[in-house]
Amino acid sequence: MKKFTVITLILALLFTAVIQFYEPSFNANSMSRALLTAPRLLYWGSQGDDVRTVQDKLLRWGYYDGQVDGIFGARTYRAVRRFQEKNGIQVDGIVGPATAAALGMSTSPAYAQGNSRSADEYLLARCIHGEARGEPYVGKVAVGAVVLNRVRSPQFPDTIAGVIYQPLAFTAVADGQINLTPNKDSINAARDALNGWDPTYGCLYYWNPATATSKWIWSRKVNLKIGKHWFGI
Amino acid sequence: MRERRSWIAPSVLSLLLIASLVWGYNQYMRNQQYEVALDNHYQRLFFDVKTHVDKVSTSLNKALLASTKERNILLFTQIMNEAAQAKDKLAQMPISHSEVSATEKFLTQAADYAYFIIQKHLEGQDITPEQREQIKNIQLNTASFNNELNNVAQSIQEENFLVGMANAGNRNKDSEKASTNALITSLVNYDKEVAKTPELIYDGPFADQMLNKKPVGLPNRKVNLNQAREIALDFIGRDKIVDIQAFEEGDNMNEARIPVFSFQAQSSRNRDEMMYISVSKQGGVVLNMTNPRGTGNKTLSVKEGQQKALEFLESKGFKNMEPNYNLRYDGTVLYNFVYSEDGVTVYPDLVKVKVALDTGDIVGFDASAYYLNHQENRDFGKIRISENEAAKKLRNGFQVNSARLAMIPKGKTEVVCYEFKGVYEDNQYIVYINAETGQEEQILQIVENENGTFTF
Repeated sequence: MKKFTVITLILALLFTAVIQFYEPSFNANSMSRALLTAPRLLYWGSQGDDVRTVQDKLLRWGYYDGQVDGIFGARTYRAVRRFQEKNGIQVDGIVGPATAAALGMSTSPAYAQGNSRSADEYLLARCIHGEARGEPYVGKVAVGAVVLNRVRSPQFPDTIAGVIYQPLAFTAVADGQINLTPNKDSINAARDALNGWDPTYGCLYYWNPATATSKWIWSRKVNLKIGKHWFGI
Repeated sequence: MRERRSWIAPSVLSLLLIASLVWGYNQYMRNQQYEVALDNHYQRLFFDVKTHVDKVSTSLNKALLASTKERNILLFTQIMNEAAQAKDKLAQMPISHSEVSATEKFLTQAADYAYFIIQKHLEGQDITPEQREQIKNIQLNTASFNNELNNVAQSIQEENFLVGMANAGNRNKDSEKASTNALITSLVNYDKEVAKTPELIYDGPFADQMLNKKPVGLPNRKVNLNQAREIALDFIGRDKIVDIQAFEEGDNMNEARIPVFSFQAQSSRNRDEMMYISVSKQGGVVLNMTNPRGTGNKTLSVKEGQQKALEFLESKGFKNMEPNYNLRYDGTVLYNFVYSEDGVTVYPDLVKVKVALDTGDIVGFDASAYYLNHQENRDFGKIRISENEAAKKLRNGFQVNSARLAMIPKGKTEVVCYEFKGVYEDNQYIVYINAETGQEEQILQIVENENGTFTF
C-alpha cells in the first residue's frame, strides 16, 4: 500500500511539472478575445442586411422557399440546416464563419468591410459599448461625439484609434470592456455620431460624478448632463 | 492503516503547496516579462519624441536662415512631419492627458503652421514679418521643450528612470517612483510654460480661430427655456408627444460651439420610445432631432423616402434644398441636402434628414452645419474663368460626366469652384477648380458600397 502512495505521489509530481513547464501554444485569453471581437453569428431571430444576403443565396440555390426579408426565422433556419448538411458543415442552423465561407459571404461583419470608414465605425461602436452601454441612446451618441471632437482637437491624437487607445483616457479600454461585441444600439449610435450628430456641441470630456476619481476633471467647464455623465470642455 | 492515512493528507497538501509555488513563480516571471516589454516600448517612445523634437528645432533654425522658397518648402515639410510624429508618440505614453495637453496642442499647431507656410510658398507668397515672428516663437518653444527632454534624458545615465512606467496607469503615492516622477514633473512644467504662449494666427484646421468659430446663420432673437420647449413641441408635433423633459445644464453651456436647450420627449405612440431634440438659445431654431426607434418592414423605396424628406424640409421653411448623397441603413435612409442659390451649390449649408422606410416618418434631422455656415446674400466673388477654361486644367484622360458651380469651404473662407464629376482609371472623382483663379482646390474620391456613397 505504501508503494502505491509513493507511486501516486511521484506521478502527481511529474504531472504538475509537465503542466507547469508546458508552454501552451495559444493562451485561453487570446481565444476568448477572438470570440468577443468575432463577426456576429446569424441565428434564429437575427435581422439585417447580412441575413438578407444569406436568404438570397439560399433562395437562388434552392434551399430556401420563403421571403427575402432580412429576418432569420424558421424557414431560414431549416434552409441553413439543409445547406450545412449538403456541404458537410456542422449542422447547427447557425451561420458562423464556416457556413458563411461556404455561402461565399465575407466572414467579416458587414460594417467592417470595404472602406476605411466602416472600420472606424465598428471601433467607435465598441468604444461606445464599453463606455456607455447602460446609458440612454443620446448618451451613447454623446460619448461617440466626444471621441470625434477629440480627433478634431489639436490637444488629442488625430485618429479615432489614437484617441480611443490613448493611455489613461478611457477606463473601458484599460479594463478590456472595449473588446465586447457591440450591440445594435451602440452601432447605430456610432453611425449617428459619425454622421455629425453631436448632442454635446463640442465637448471634449465626460465623467460620471459618482465614480470620477480625478480631481482635475472637476476643474473642467461643464456644459450639460446626459444620463449619468456630465459633459464639458 | 491508520499510519497510511496520516501520510496522505500532509503529502497532498505539500504537493499543492509546491504546485501553487511553481504556478506563482511562473506568473511572476510572466508578469516581469510583460512589464519589461512595456517599459522598453515606453523608453523607445520617449527617445523618439526627443529625436523628433530635436529635428523640429534644428529645421526651424535653418528655415529662419534659408533665403529661398524652395529650401523653405523642404524644411517645412520636414518640420510638419517631425512635429506630427512627436505629437503622435507623446500621446502614446502613459501620461495623463491633463499633463501634456498644451504640449500636444503646441506640436499639432506647429505641424499645422508648417503646412500653412508650405501652401503660402506654393502660391508664390513670401513669409511676412508677422509670420516670421510666429516662426521664431515656435522655435523658442521647441528649443525649450528640447532642453527639458535633454535634462530628463540625462538622468537616465544615473538611474533607470522609465522603469515602472508600465504601472503608470495605477499611479498612487506609494508606488510612484521618484524617477518616473522626474519625467512627469518636467513635462508638466513645460506644459504650463507652453500654455502661456500667445495664440498662433494662421489659416489651418487646428488654428484657434477655426476651433472657436461661431455660427453665422442663426437668427438674432434669444429664446428662454419655455419658449424653446414650445418650439420643440411644435417641431415634432404636440399630438406625438406625451411628455417632454429638458436636460440638466451645466454652468458653461454658453461656451459650447452652439449653446442649446436639449430635450427628451416621450412618444405618444410607444411609451418606451424616446426622441431627442435641441433648440438653439440664439435664434430659437431646431438644430437636431433624433428618434432612434427600430423600424419594421419597408413600405417605401429610397426615392419615395427622399420625397418625404424634401416635403418635410419645405414644411420647416428650408427653401432651395437639393438632394445630394444618401446613406442606407437597415430600415432607414439618411439624406443629405445642400442649399443652392443662383445655380451655385453651397456645400457648407448642409441639412441631413433621416427617413424611416416603414412609415415614412422623419426619424432624424440635423441642421447644425447649416446654421453654422449659412449666410443671407452670400458674396460669391467673381467668376473670372469659363467652364471650358476650367475643364482645360483637368488631367488628360479624366472623363467628365457632369459639371456645375459649387461653393466649398477653404480654411476660414469659402470659394466658388467648378465641380467636375468624372471617372479616371475606373475610379470616380470630383475635382474642384477655383472659378476665380483657376487653381485646383480639392480632389475627392468617391467610394460606393451597398450602404451608399462616401467621399474621401
